[in-house]
Amino acid sequence: MAEVSYDTASRVFPSSPPVRAVDRLDLDVADGEFLVLVGPSGSGKSTALRMLAGLEDIDEGAVRIGGRDVSGVAPKDRDIAMVFQSYALYPHMSVAENMGFALKLKGVPRAEVRARVVEAARLLELEGYLDRKPKSLSGGQRQRVAMGRAIVREPSVFLMDEPLSNLDAKLRVETRAHIATLQRRLGTTTIYVTHDQVEAMTMGHRVAVLRDGLLQQCDTPRGLYGHPANAFVAGFIGSPGMNLKTVPLGPHGAEVDGLTVPVRREVHAPGLDRVTVGMRPESLRLTGAGEPGADLTVELVEELGADAYVYGTVTVDGAPERFVVRVDGRTPPAPGHRVRIALRDTDEVHVFDPVTGARLN
Amino acid sequence: MAVTAPARPRRGGRGPRALLLSTAGLLVALVFLAPYLIMVIGSFKPRPEILAVPPGYLPRQWRPDNYVTLWSTPETPLPLNLISTVVISVCATLLVLAVATPAAYYTARHRFPGRLVFLLLVLATQMLQPTVLAAGLFREFVVLGINDTWLAMILVNAAFNLSFAVWIMHSFFAAVPREIDEAAMLDGASRLQTLRRVTLPLVWPGIVTAVIFTFVACWNEFAASLVILTTDANQPLSVALTKFAGQYDSAWQYVFAISVVAIAPVVLLFALIERRLVAGLTAGSVK
Repeated sequence: MAEVSYDTASRVFPSSPPVRAVDRLDLDVADGEFLVLVGPSGSGKSTALRMLAGLEDIDEGAVRIGGRDVSGVAPKDRDIAMVFQSYALYPHMSVAENMGFALKLKGVPRAEVRARVVEAARLLELEGYLDRKPKSLSGGQRQRVAMGRAIVREPSVFLMDEPLSNLDAKLRVETRAHIATLQRRLGTTTIYVTHDQVEAMTMGHRVAVLRDGLLQQCDTPRGLYGHPANAFVAGFIGSPGMNLKTVPLGPHGAEVDGLTVPVRREVHAPGLDRVTVGMRPESLRLTGAGEPGADLTVELVEELGADAYVYGTVTVDGAPERFVVRVDGRTPPAPGHRVRIALRDTDEVHVFDPVTGARLN
Repeated sequence: MAVTAPARPRRGGRGPRALLLSTAGLLVALVFLAPYLIMVIGSFKPRPEILAVPPGYLPRQWRPDNYVTLWSTPETPLPLNLISTVVISVCATLLVLAVATPAAYYTARHRFPGRLVFLLLVLATQMLQPTVLAAGLFREFVVLGINDTWLAMILVNAAFNLSFAVWIMHSFFAAVPREIDEAAMLDGASRLQTLRRVTLPLVWPGIVTAVIFTFVACWNEFAASLVILTTDANQPLSVALTKFAGQYDSAWQYVFAISVVAIAPVVLLFALIERRLVAGLTAGSVK
């Protein structure tokens, strides 16, 4: 087990102009921590993981595992195990051979290899499949073999590159919980890459959000959700996404149709006449027609049972803007109706700079 | 109104259509097999019977001893010719394998400047016939001092077959996902171990395909051998065969018998791995 740190590490792909796939990444992962790297495609999250694995060069800065600079060290000497998105099982080897390959290369005695493979298979409920070839396994079983191959080695760090994206939705949720439990039990430092923010929020002790190779924020799931550092993180984390609107800044606050969102005094910088406000769907509520609020024309209602999400438009600055509001599932408004929406709590409003996207409150 | 289900055509079913198809197939097969039949039957005939007019179908007098006497004819030292063919073919095939495998692996795995030019250049060598180059090669080997040696023909055969082997193996290596290599490397394998224990077993059908084609091409090579190998004892079977067909006199029974001896290993090789070969040839074309 070991801690991992990226020390202003960059990966620059030579092209014209050069692409900084990972740009001066500073990140410390504690021993035994489960860190999730999340971001849209092309954000550099997989590249960052492959830099740690030794499959990509580190062009600037350094990467350390257990305090040791591994920047120039071959993948096989880094004491890490990786689970690939495609699983990358060896098609010509049985499940047991796949799982024991690394130990066999290391020269571990045959009996011990067998014992460790059987133990890992027991943990992953693969005992009955040890003599099968990967091609005769289901997707979920293959995924577990890939996990098993990583576990038997007892490495100091687990790397996982979107290991669930080839599973169907139901299996994905089950395996998600399984991996999180397994990680807690083994206590191995784990770095997990995903583009799915739900996976990121439910699995990670901490989540690092990347965009265009730059680290946007690294925090606990609650911290990211409740206090996003910028408009990108605010919009990326949460489902359905936060209502992010750039609106005029009046003397009393940001003005969204008839709804005035109070903005603290220090935000009123000279020259700033518009701000981006962010309100989560659950921070908004339906209100009576006489109360101050914004008029929402309902277009679609998603009923989820306990709750319902109301999608509609509010006229801001003469143009229709889409909003999502979470309402009580028992009394949702019907599509086509006009309802009035207001804030639940003024503390739940996020204010961002309309140009840089940086958090202002 | 009664609804009748349309009769589904059955694969390999009976009926006049199937019979017609089978007959047509047999006829076509016969056209292609006839020369081989004539060759095998002719190899058992005494010489006058082959030249008899009108020719008979089966030998009136079976002469299996043609296969014994052909090894000690005055025209050519046939045992040495056979050894020559085997040595040249085996060595050239091994050389091709040793060079083409890493070349195909590297070009499939790495992007490097001039990669496309390299691959096209490899392909271009395939377009030059040995006949065109034989005279030039002869001059070259005279300068190098290896004219009329097995080494010269091993080099020539290897060079002519390298491009095909690189191309076919390239497509096999390219079909193996890169992640599998990476997984092996993370599992602690060196590059050589990765190639030997993970990648090579996966491209095995491609290697077999390349080996068969190379071996057969080397075994049958004629034009360059005719020019470069001037000593009787060094010449392969393909060249030795011509010694029996002269301007005034031809020992046809030996021509046929040697042909049978010459094609036997090739036919055997194909028969043994035909299944694997077909899999190899179609792989990569359809996912």
